Amino acid sequence: MEKNFILAGFGGQGILLAGTILANSFMLGGKNVTWYPCYGAEMRGGTVNCEVVVSDTEVSSVHKQDADFALVLNQQSFDKFVQRVKAGGTIIANATLVALSKPRDDIKYVFAKMGDIANAIGSSKVTNMVSLGVLADVCDIVSREYLAKAVELVLGEKKKQFLPLNLKALEAGCSALV
Amino acid sequence: MSSEKVLIKGNYAIAQAAINAGCQCYFGYPITPQTEIGEYLSAEMPKLGRGYVSAESELAAINMVVGAAATGAKVMTSSSSCAVALMQEALSYACSDEVPVVVVNVMRAGPGLGYVYPAQGDYNQAVYGGGNGDYKIIVLAPATVQECIDYTYKAFYLARKYRNPVILLADGLLGQMMEPACFGENPYPEVDVSSWALTGAKGRDGKAIYSCARDEKAHIQKIHDLFKKFEIITENETSYEEFETEDAEIILTAFGSMTRNIKAAIRVLREKGVKAGGFRPITLSPFPTKRISELAADGKDFVVVEMNMGQMFKDVKYAVEGKSNVSLVNRPCGEWLSVEEIVSSVEKILNKKEGAYASCI
Amino acid sequence: MQAVFSTPKSMKEDFKFTFCPGCDHGIAVRLVAELIDELNLKENTICSTCVGCSVFLYDFLNIDCVEAPHGRACASATGVKRTNPEKFVFTYQGDGDFASIGFAESMHTAIRGENISAICINNTTFGMTGGQLGPTTLMGQVTTTSPFGRNKEYYGYPVKIAEQIALCDGTAFSARVALDTIPHINQAKQALKKAFEVQLKGLGFGFVEILSSCPTNWHMTPEEAHEWVKNSMIPEFPLGTFKDLTEVGVNK
Repeated sequence: MEKNFILAGFGGQGILLAGTILANSFMLGGKNVTWYPCYGAEMRGGTVNCEVVVSDTEVSSVHKQDADFALVLNQQSFDKFVQRVKAGGTIIANATLVALSKPRDDIKYVFAKMGDIANAIGSSKVTNMVSLGVLADVCDIVSREYLAKAVELVLGEKKKQFLPLNLKALEAGCSALV
Repeated sequence: MSSEKVLIKGNYAIAQAAINAGCQCYFGYPITPQTEIGEYLSAEMPKLGRGYVSAESELAAINMVVGAAATGAKVMTSSSSCAVALMQEALSYACSDEVPVVVVNVMRAGPGLGYVYPAQGDYNQAVYGGGNGDYKIIVLAPATVQECIDYTYKAFYLARKYRNPVILLADGLLGQMMEPACFGENPYPEVDVSSWALTGAKGRDGKAIYSCARDEKAHIQKIHDLFKKFEIITENETSYEEFETEDAEIILTAFGSMTRNIKAAIRVLREKGVKAGGFRPITLSPFPTKRISELAADGKDFVVVEMNMGQMFKDVKYAVEGKSNVSLVNRPCGEWLSVEEIVSSVEKILNKKEGAYASCI
Repeated sequence: MQAVFSTPKSMKEDFKFTFCPGCDHGIAVRLVAELIDELNLKENTICSTCVGCSVFLYDFLNIDCVEAPHGRACASATGVKRTNPEKFVFTYQGDGDFASIGFAESMHTAIRGENISAICINNTTFGMTGGQLGPTTLMGQVTTTSPFGRNKEYYGYPVKIAEQIALCDGTAFSARVALDTIPHINQAKQALKKAFEVQLKGLGFGFVEILSSCPTNWHMTPEEAHEWVKNSMIPEFPLGTFKDLTEVGVNK
């Protein structure tokens, strides 16, 4: 089993952090995992993305053309990455900023108003955590428990005060799709 | 350091491993995609009372490294492709001076300024060098973040053990990716450098470390001695990884992070009934010529998979010496050849069968 | 009997200068050796040598030396000093090495305020290769690569090294001296001593530019060459101290 995830959004939405937490959750679950960001001049123009590949065996390559799952937090990223989801794959979009549309019929679509949910909790800054919660709900190999542990690990001692809000956002994401 | 696994970026892993290996001072200049190495060390080295110098250029950085290493200090610099090009002169000096320098190259795309995305186009630059004269550098090519740590430890050890420059040849993919990895303890012993290091002429005559040669006979002898030393390095340190070669009819060969893709491609090919195996040089210099030659003598064909225009390809061909077929599957830079692309290229090669076949994607 | 003249202890016993007859390099090297003796630095010194006429410095001085590629002595010395802050570290370079191919390294070493001492022998030519136009060749001066004399159209202007180095915040001492007369030689030694002492006191970069004769490449007798230093070089490259932080301490 090898699955790859693309996480994308605009700068400031905490995309790289969300990817890091997702990768840590896989590590905590004993899986092989590789995280890979877009970097350098690629980042100009305000969009950010990263790729997480999880595997039971050694992770072959990153920098893949297609993704099993795309988690997109803004319209620009939806437009770009909807084309790069494998046939039969899933795109999970933040409906607060992404218009409901289904340009392909060979993939699955999940729309959730992640931004609204985050705002209701207290801050749009935790939209990324809500999105991870939605991902955990949709994708079997993503574990809520390990995600929660990963949030704690990544925030560490220095940012411990933000832990409750982040966990709450994760929780809210997990139950966003009813 | 602990034996606990941490999710860490290749660049940070190299930097922390250098600290664990006892690096006393880092000299460097920023360039994507390896800048995090300098950033990390600028934050960590002062806490440990160790040195960090923001050099004015890579030219200066490598010469600072050579100067410091001449005193027996453990030092390093890191850079990328077009900027490692600036270091070639000093690497030639360091080989002749027998000064143990460690250089990390996190490869990006060339030629010229190229671009920041990953590539493997500095195989020739590292293995054959861009400096003048006859000299040889030890080149280690990691394939995972864990190996970035392991081979950084090894680079510091080998440099001092053999008084020879060592290049850790990584690529943008490895530098930027995060993977779970474990630092463990630096497994290598300390090397006594007191016989040659410059420490000030206390209780002895002054000594000098230099490459300048005036006596032709002595000069010739010195180069022979340096090459004899490299024969010993070849004998002791040549390192490679082999997978499923025993019954293989075709051997996929790659270095660095492309190793991961050929491993996955071999799994797919085996499922399809192709007897595929893999061979991966870990030391690009010394190159495992002898082992490749043995495998070729067994009639096994080779497919070299690399992100350049066929730089390692010619070393594999040289090792094979016409005993079997050698083909090339490559792309100059950018998106790594995917497992699917490798598999379909190998299938095409198998269908052609006769003669070498090159497939540039 | 009293010895009134002897070889400095920091010189090698069997040294043979490779400098041309009448060249001032020999005097400069001797001054350096005398100071290493007087300041008792021999056992604690590491020198980064250069490429040029003084490339064989390690054959004359009985101290530890590391050879730097052309122009990189200040970078090499930075590496030595940063990993051995308790050692006395200096460079001995020519004007081509220090102020042409290595000017970036030289300037930045001064700007960073590296605690080293640097000596630059200025003889207005690339001596080792046979007298080509260098960064300090005077306007109108004929060399093998300026056969019609230096003009601004083809070559631009000569660089005033000691003044440039003095402008750097990290410089603790910068002076220009000459070796054409006994008083000038004595002044040169005092300047070198200061450039060494600012390092020993941890004040920053110490620098001395030494105007030096090159009878061979100038096609002059040694006497004529010293006359030329006096009449042609010193008016263009005035002697003096351009920066001295010995009293006020390091720049903040």
